[in-house]
Amino acid sequence: MAILEVDGSLGEGGGQILRSSIALSLVTGTPFRLVNVRAGRKRPGLMRQHLTAVQAAAEVGQAQVTGAEIGSLQLTFHPGTVRSGDYCFSVGTAGSATLVLQTVFPALALATGRSTVTVEGGTHNPMAPPFDFLARAFLPLVDRMGPRSTAVLERPGFYPAGGGRFHVAIEPAAVFGRLDLRERGEIRARRATAVVALLKRSIAERELAQVREHLGWDDSTLRIESVAKAVGPGNVVSVEVESEHVTELFSGFGERGVSAERVGSTVAREAADYLAAGVPVGPHLADQLLLPMALGAGGVFRTQEPSGHTCTHAELLKSFLGSDVRIRKLSELVWEIEVPARA
Amino acid sequence: MSRKKTVVVGLLGPTLDLGTKTNRWERWRPTVSLCQHEDLLVDRLELLYQRRYTALAQTVTADIQSVSPETEVVHRLIEFEDAWDLEEVYGALLDFARSRVWAPDKEDYLVHITTGTHIAQISMFLLVEAHHIPARLIQTAPPVRSQGGTAGSFAIIDLDLSKYDTIAARFRREQKEGLSLLKAGIDTRNAAFNQLIERIEQVAIRSRDPLLLMGPTGAGKSQLARRIFELKKARRQVAGPLVEVNCATLRGDGAMSTLFGHVKGAFTGAIADRQGLLRKANGGILMLDEIGELGSDEQAMLLHAIEEKSFFPVGSDREVQSDFQLIAGTNRDLRRDVEQGRFREDLLARIDLWSFKLPGLRERPEDVAPNLEYELDRWAQSGGEAVTFSREARDRFLDFARGPGAAWAGNFRDFNAAVRRMATLASGGRVTREIVDEEIVRLRDAWRSGEVSSGGLVDEILGSRAAGVDPFDRVQLEEVLRACRSARSLSEAGRSLFAISRTRKASSNDADRLRKYLARYGLAWADVATRR
Repeated sequence: MAILEVDGSLGEGGGQILRSSIALSLVTGTPFRLVNVRAGRKRPGLMRQHLTAVQAAAEVGQAQVTGAEIGSLQLTFHPGTVRSGDYCFSVGTAGSATLVLQTVFPALALATGRSTVTVEGGTHNPMAPPFDFLARAFLPLVDRMGPRSTAVLERPGFYPAGGGRFHVAIEPAAVFGRLDLRERGEIRARRATAVVALLKRSIAERELAQVREHLGWDDSTLRIESVAKAVGPGNVVSVEVESEHVTELFSGFGERGVSAERVGSTVAREAADYLAAGVPVGPHLADQLLLPMALGAGGVFRTQEPSGHTCTHAELLKSFLGSDVRIRKLSELVWEIEVPARA
Repeated sequence: MSRKKTVVVGLLGPTLDLGTKTNRWERWRPTVSLCQHEDLLVDRLELLYQRRYTALAQTVTADIQSVSPETEVVHRLIEFEDAWDLEEVYGALLDFARSRVWAPDKEDYLVHITTGTHIAQISMFLLVEAHHIPARLIQTAPPVRSQGGTAGSFAIIDLDLSKYDTIAARFRREQKEGLSLLKAGIDTRNAAFNQLIERIEQVAIRSRDPLLLMGPTGAGKSQLARRIFELKKARRQVAGPLVEVNCATLRGDGAMSTLFGHVKGAFTGAIADRQGLLRKANGGILMLDEIGELGSDEQAMLLHAIEEKSFFPVGSDREVQSDFQLIAGTNRDLRRDVEQGRFREDLLARIDLWSFKLPGLRERPEDVAPNLEYELDRWAQSGGEAVTFSREARDRFLDFARGPGAAWAGNFRDFNAAVRRMATLASGGRVTREIVDEEIVRLRDAWRSGEVSSGGLVDEILGSRAAGVDPFDRVQLEEVLRACRSARSLSEAGRSLFAISRTRKASSNDADRLRKYLARYGLAWADVATRR
């Protein structure tokens, strides 16, 4: 099979192109060569978090890989047969456990047998979707497309200490079914959770006070979770909106030098924008949905203004699958994205 | 995916790496930070620590396993009492460096120099700089406040890059000043030789009588004398120095005064008192190598000096005292010299009380390998660079050296020269099969042409000073000395050496030209002429 060349400097570049290319390659069997990896960055080439994703994928897809070295500007990936089974991947803090899962998930969701994946490391990392987003927003929508997954968090792992662990059980389907998600439907539940691991409870209280103030939610929606069995300290606040057709989740991370008020208000504002747009799908979820939809029967959804990641993704899908993802602006706040079925 | 593994070797920092509470994650800890970088994957961390920091080592290890599951942490206990004692710390780290097999073709080594006392950091630097650890240095630094995070930054420094040569030279000086360590005992296996050495040590410790060391050239007589001196010094049996002289270099008028000294005005040119080597050796050891080359007057004076512990300096009517132990060396059969009237019978009887015959290298094939290790050690210590043989090169060289094809005409002198040549040619501190093959050809050629050792006459006449002669000049000097040896006078030697240019000159002073040339090496005609 002819090797597909992917330009690593496409769009925002970086790890996203690498992970999505691997995910697409594993499902389609198309080998690819990624060039200009993180070209023009201060520290160009592959980084550790990329290598962990490559190695996990090589194991799942029995792939042959060259150039998988730190600082490498070029990587070739020849996928073999995807094997379902029980996998365990350990990821350093610098990387993210959820990103590794995303890399291998589409292939395992369409594999011949049931799989379980355990990932250890950073489960709540500011640079990646947190576990809760995966479990409550993304995976339930994929369930609707066919494959069934359940995700369980054993314990969170925050930057920089890591040490978290979660398990995902995947019951595969033959194909990803069509997804139509134009309407959010009635809001059924609102939840805001502030998690503090080995840190003062007052941090969580101050964050939730911001959520209450910006969103006008009452105290019954607010919850503090204190984690004692984490390896290192950490804090995350999640705002979850459960609607008739979809659940969306927004997160903010506590960070040294950033006040709890600022963390709380930022995530509350993100949720407020989502609620104001009246769409079912937020920007992060939109980005995640493109790949399974394009690999399956396609579909359509409405969302907020697409992020740079989403546009890069659309380009990548065109080169791997020849799919034309159509992105249309419907109004000031609403966009519609239509993904064709895989040819 | 076959890439070299990245292996970091570093000391646990009892201060900087400290932390057991949750807030340790908010602090920069250099050893943990090594494994937190996105662009540095540490496959293995060799953590050096003292037993009393075991608990800290365990915390740091657990934290590294959490932030970097790819990293295998290996614990290495290392003990020193005083972390600020350079010799002790360096010694302990050197032991570690030598106790372990480095595989630079399979692993990429980085030595972390941010932790430990400054003394430990300097020691680590020195070990890398001297190639005892085939590594590059890695230095870590705490994060800049505005950047956030706790990983900070790191920098890799390759000391082999020429831009660090000046720094390296500076450290080498400091190394020489600070470290006079490591007595290198050769692990010899030849039973007869070991027995001989045992006996010499017994005698050396119990007796102050003269010792006679016999053996072919290059068998290690001077080295043995030096070891005896070191041994007696360690047992506090000598207070004075070791004074060494090769009697072959003592010729003509100067010989007497060199040995016994002279007083001012004793002869033309004696413008001041001269102490002489015998008096210099007072309280210590006098090593007279090639004692068979000593003239008959000197032999008589020496006998007197040994028996009476006193003698007359040239031109003096007052006896001076000197109490020294004599070690004499010879490669000649002194008994035959006595029969032929060349050596005094009474002197031989006096120095022959304890005589030991050192075997040549060919008689000690078992000791070739340990001597190779020893010479490489010496090379590393004197030149500052650790050199190793590839397995193939080592096997090849040892096979040759122990085999019938190796004449070892100059014994350990040839062997030493061979190792030094190979070590010099080893780029990157690695002696390859090619270098060995080249050396074997070189040795065979030398033995075939009957040259005893690389220096020939230069070595014979200049003795230890020959080491200070550039190879470039050595070739010329060797030829000049050869001409002198075959000439009857300075003028005759001059005529033959300047045979071409003298024909173009109206007047020539070949003898003067030659005298000035020899003087550059501190030599006079008497030093270089054959005795007749």
